[in-house]
Amino acid sequence: MTATDDRLARILRLLSSDDATAGTDRLCAVCAEATNVSGAGIMLMSSDVTQGSVCTTDQVSALIEELQYTLGEGPSVDAYQTHRPVAAPALAASEEVRWPAFTPAVVAAGAGALFGFPLGIGAIRLGALNLYRDRPGPLTPDQHSDALVMANVAARVVIGMQADAPLGTIAVELERGADFQLVVHQAAGMVAVQLDVNVTEALVRLRARAFADERRLADVATAVVERRLRFDDHAGEARS
Amino acid sequence: MRQRGVLPRAIITSAQAARREATGTLREEVEVDVTREAVLARTMVELADTLVDDFDIVESLTTLADRCVEVFDISAAGIMLVAPEGDLRVMTSSSEAMRVVEVFELQAQEGPCLDCYRSGRPVVNQDLATVNGRWPRFSAVAMQAGFRATDAIPMRLRGQVIGALNLFRSEVGSLTEADVLSAQALADVATIAILQHRSALDVRLVNEQLSQALNSRIVIEQAKGMISEQGQLDLQQAFARLRNHARNHNVRLVELAAAVVGGTLRVDSLDVLQT
Repeated sequence: MTATDDRLARILRLLSSDDATAGTDRLCAVCAEATNVSGAGIMLMSSDVTQGSVCTTDQVSALIEELQYTLGEGPSVDAYQTHRPVAAPALAASEEVRWPAFTPAVVAAGAGALFGFPLGIGAIRLGALNLYRDRPGPLTPDQHSDALVMANVAARVVIGMQADAPLGTIAVELERGADFQLVVHQAAGMVAVQLDVNVTEALVRLRARAFADERRLADVATAVVERRLRFDDHAGEARS
Repeated sequence: MRQRGVLPRAIITSAQAARREATGTLREEVEVDVTREAVLARTMVELADTLVDDFDIVESLTTLADRCVEVFDISAAGIMLVAPEGDLRVMTSSSEAMRVVEVFELQAQEGPCLDCYRSGRPVVNQDLATVNGRWPRFSAVAMQAGFRATDAIPMRLRGQVIGALNLFRSEVGSLTEADVLSAQALADVATIAILQHRSALDVRLVNEQLSQALNSRIVIEQAKGMISEQGQLDLQQAFARLRNHARNHNVRLVELAAAVVGGTLRVDSLDVLQT
């Protein structure tokens, strides 16, 4: 096994090491800890409009999010819109001209480098994870990989929390890799049609169902794909 | 259209040279192999076409898997890519039976594709009936699914392994040395296509590209689920319908899938498959 195999396990350990009541604040703290940066925040967006903050670790990351809501510009906005990570390793440098209104204010607040990572699952686009460091400089390849994994985990945690599943339960499930199975995404598409909701909502419903029935997400998804379970059927049993 | 075809042509030439060299001792094979050579060359050219900005990764890799079945006269072919999490994921499989076996391999953490990825070397001509000791659980499941032999070719660029091209056969047979070289050439071009021939191989960009590729697969699966439910099709038919529409309208598969999932394109407005 290579060192990278431990990335997910390490992040999940950080997430589940807390008590059962741990919530979004813990999620953001783990985002910063796992990627070894000064602070982190998670913003939700939809249709290019910022929706709200899930969490921030400190005043600087709170400002980073607030300014992006207000100004509509910044690394998280760009990461969300381009679906790609965005890096501003030298925020104070004169070459950094991408966000003219945003940059001076966050530099004054003490941010030296900023990184935005899109938060999404397939075509579901939830928002962005933003990381900041008080000193300038790029993320190391290791930090960058950790951040990609962290963004994947955070997206799943955000969905899980919308389904009222506790952080610990979500972490255990992710450890089993259940959510990374394609069957989950096929089922989300099917449930979206059954309930006439978007795929994000369908995934939340699947997650909630798995949590309520104390079943694995992948098992519930498999039942949907094998047409043994429908979500538009109140009895919840197979109709075929 | 930057440097379009430059890199692949070099690879095609070297693959052809290697093949010529290898087949020098296998003259009888060369004579019966004209069509096969043509398919191989066509596949190379198709993959070369992917070296553009709007390259469609899912479509390209699906095509590659299908072509491998043709070229090497095997039962199924598939591609696994490494995720930023560090584990391999199934990116594409030419058959449902193979996909099930590949998913099992990843869950059981044993099998030829994993060995190939971990070692960065081809693991070819594995007769499943005789390699039982090596991958007991994998062999049992693969044979149950009707496969008898496997080959796994590493996908690597400058020392970094990003996945494996896997060939499954329902009959025991063996790939010639020339076959292995051809498969490696295909895997190499696919690797370059996935990594968008970055001149400087930055680990960060490689991971982003792989992450993007695997996410594209998820978009397709979400759309397949919707099409399957709406049209009462099985998932393979749903994929065929999506792919057919993308080809008819010359749009990227992943963009079409995203439009379906995002609700900007209604499922019932997709072209109906001619059966």
